[in-house]
Amino acid sequence: MKKMVVFLLLIVVGSMLFAGGGQEEFAQEEDDNKIVIWTNLTADAQAVVLRKQFAEVAEEMGVDFEMVTISFGDMYTKLATAVEAGNVPDIMHTNFSGAAYLYSQDMLAPMDDVIDDLGRDDFIASYLHVLNADGKTWGLPDWALHTSVWYRKDLFKKYGIDIPTNWDEFKAAAEKLMIDNDGDGKTDIYGFPVPLNATHVAAQTFYEFLYSAGVTTVDPKTGEYTFGSQKEKAREVLDYMMELYHDVSPKSSIEWSWSEYRNALVEGTVAMTLDMGAVILMSQTNNPEMLENLGCFDLPGPDGNKAASFGSGYAFVGSNSGDAEQIALKKEFLTRLYTKERAAERALSRPMFAFPSLYSAVDTYRQDPKVALFGEQIDTITDAFENNNWYWYGMENGLSQLSAQIESTTFFGETLQSVALGMENSEDAIEYIDQMLQEQISLLD
Amino acid sequence: MSNMSLTGKKRDYDTQRQLLGIIFIIPSVIFLLVFVVYPVCYNIILSFTDARLMKSDFSFIAFDNYKKLFQNIRFLKYVKNTLIWTVFSVVGQLALGLAIALLINKRANVTGLRSFLLVPYVVPAVALALVTKWVTNGDYGIVSWWLNWIGLLEYRQSPLAVPGSAMAVLIIVNIWRSYPFPMLIYWATLKGISHEIYDAASVDGCSAFQMFWHITLPHLKSTTTVLAILRIVWTATYFDLIWLITGGGPAGSTTHLPIMIYQTSFGTFQTGYASSISVILGLSLFVCIVFYVRKTISNDR
Repeated sequence: MKKMVVFLLLIVVGSMLFAGGGQEEFAQEEDDNKIVIWTNLTADAQAVVLRKQFAEVAEEMGVDFEMVTISFGDMYTKLATAVEAGNVPDIMHTNFSGAAYLYSQDMLAPMDDVIDDLGRDDFIASYLHVLNADGKTWGLPDWALHTSVWYRKDLFKKYGIDIPTNWDEFKAAAEKLMIDNDGDGKTDIYGFPVPLNATHVAAQTFYEFLYSAGVTTVDPKTGEYTFGSQKEKAREVLDYMMELYHDVSPKSSIEWSWSEYRNALVEGTVAMTLDMGAVILMSQTNNPEMLENLGCFDLPGPDGNKAASFGSGYAFVGSNSGDAEQIALKKEFLTRLYTKERAAERALSRPMFAFPSLYSAVDTYRQDPKVALFGEQIDTITDAFENNNWYWYGMENGLSQLSAQIESTTFFGETLQSVALGMENSEDAIEYIDQMLQEQISLLD
Repeated sequence: MSNMSLTGKKRDYDTQRQLLGIIFIIPSVIFLLVFVVYPVCYNIILSFTDARLMKSDFSFIAFDNYKKLFQNIRFLKYVKNTLIWTVFSVVGQLALGLAIALLINKRANVTGLRSFLLVPYVVPAVALALVTKWVTNGDYGIVSWWLNWIGLLEYRQSPLAVPGSAMAVLIIVNIWRSYPFPMLIYWATLKGISHEIYDAASVDGCSAFQMFWHITLPHLKSTTTVLAILRIVWTATYFDLIWLITGGGPAGSTTHLPIMIYQTSFGTFQTGYASSISVILGLSLFVCIVFYVRKTISNDR
């Protein structure tokens, strides 16, 4: 009797497994003419534009599409499980780290033929460089973002402050902007917040300071690990950041993420903040009166010479799954998304945050009323994209899985918060970060 | 002959009943095999490997993951956080659940009130997390303002940005969200205590506190034990609320073992290492489960 039961169970479990496989095959056959696109852009304005453009292109080509939005926080969880299940989307619109992750999993098709067809010279070269690995380009850059110091022009004027040109001047400016409006002894406007939310933001804040001072994770030319040999400099950078946190930043900024520090500038409770320009859309939406008061400048280097800035962007990548016909279908879909109007429209869905990857689209971008107030800032940022060094953490030498490892972990945040709270000293913190980075690199090997 | 025939029929009947019983339990067995036994076994196997999400093959590395775990200077801190989170949450849930159960047990018509008191249990964790972050925001949160006003918090500071108070906020929110379950169980148990015992005690001149201490509490002992064990298991593995409110911060002060497992799995993609942490957590909770099963069996007896 027992044997019979075990036998029955095996048959049932086995048949369930095979039934699952059969369904998958069937679903694959049924979906040949449908393009599945994932995007981890969950900002409404961008998702709306993407959906509209996908629908237009799908109609032009006579194919179906399915757009799936994935929250940024869930991106690596979803990607990892999709890779594990061999079920990655046909096209993904993701940031450079996401592209690096998929590349490391050997899931991407090179896009050089598409780029050449569209006109390689029309792409901003530094955008393409980030997506390079092994002599090929593994995605189509869509737009890039640049970290600047966004500040209150009116307060700078009122208190007679010039744009800082080194770190001493920067701190002095922030101290001068600790403002008690009503004389009650409490600060109403803080000079400069140091946001340290452990998920993404702490690492991004730290890297902007590190890059400004010339510290990188890997050598931009050779790709060799360099953070370990620059620990002393990194410690000085951390000490400076902590001085800013203690002297000119709201204490709660230790937990601040993007929305908190942007909101603080837009609502007028801080005078400056590091940001990628998303404050503009937030101001247009929540506090339009603040718009004309906002300007930006590059965070200076410690002694005035800024080595590099922190920046990133989004790209379209196509999976290498399917036969030649299916890959060609994906590439055609992507090609049609790269008219100058469509490229500009996608970037303009987050004005001053996203800058298009095509020179021809930049002109269209500039002329749009949404960014008309910011001609000078556009010049500063596009100049930085073209002529300065800008890196995304771990990708100083091009596409690297290390950036995904840095982005998806919280060890930067936890360590920096520990220093801010006096639970750890900067030397130990840098040692720990170095140890963790080396561990991440060894995992990649 | 007739006796033999009857015995044979009885045997057939028993076999049929057994077969029917087996058929009925097959779906549950399959469910357990697929969704419990297989994942648990696979997890234990993975904990002895260098499995990573980034590559499909892996090799056996014996106890290396466990060695690495016990050498990790932050592991003990996270264990301590797990204990604080679990113990205070469970004690709070049981105390509040009991207090409210006693309150509604005194009232005759409490259907509406009881339903209202169940609301926290059905509030989605995401909504609760958003509201918590909102009211504790350093700039405009009402709780932060109030705490600052009574001198417990710095100006424009958030309780979520201070290690001790961040954990306290999480525990309070968790107690609020989870007390309805103990409340219901306690209330059902209280309903089962005979009024005659209280009447007799009253005649003997016992005070309300004496009746609570000498009659009510002893009757609730078994319920409390079972509830405590269940809540310990559920709370120690509860991930959503902490992740959504603090993400384990500030400075890892609210990182407990489930967050460590998540971070190791989907942060550094070290599936094998993450499995070893979950085995340790699972073993600790297994002790609770064994205790629970033994308690249930002794109660049944």
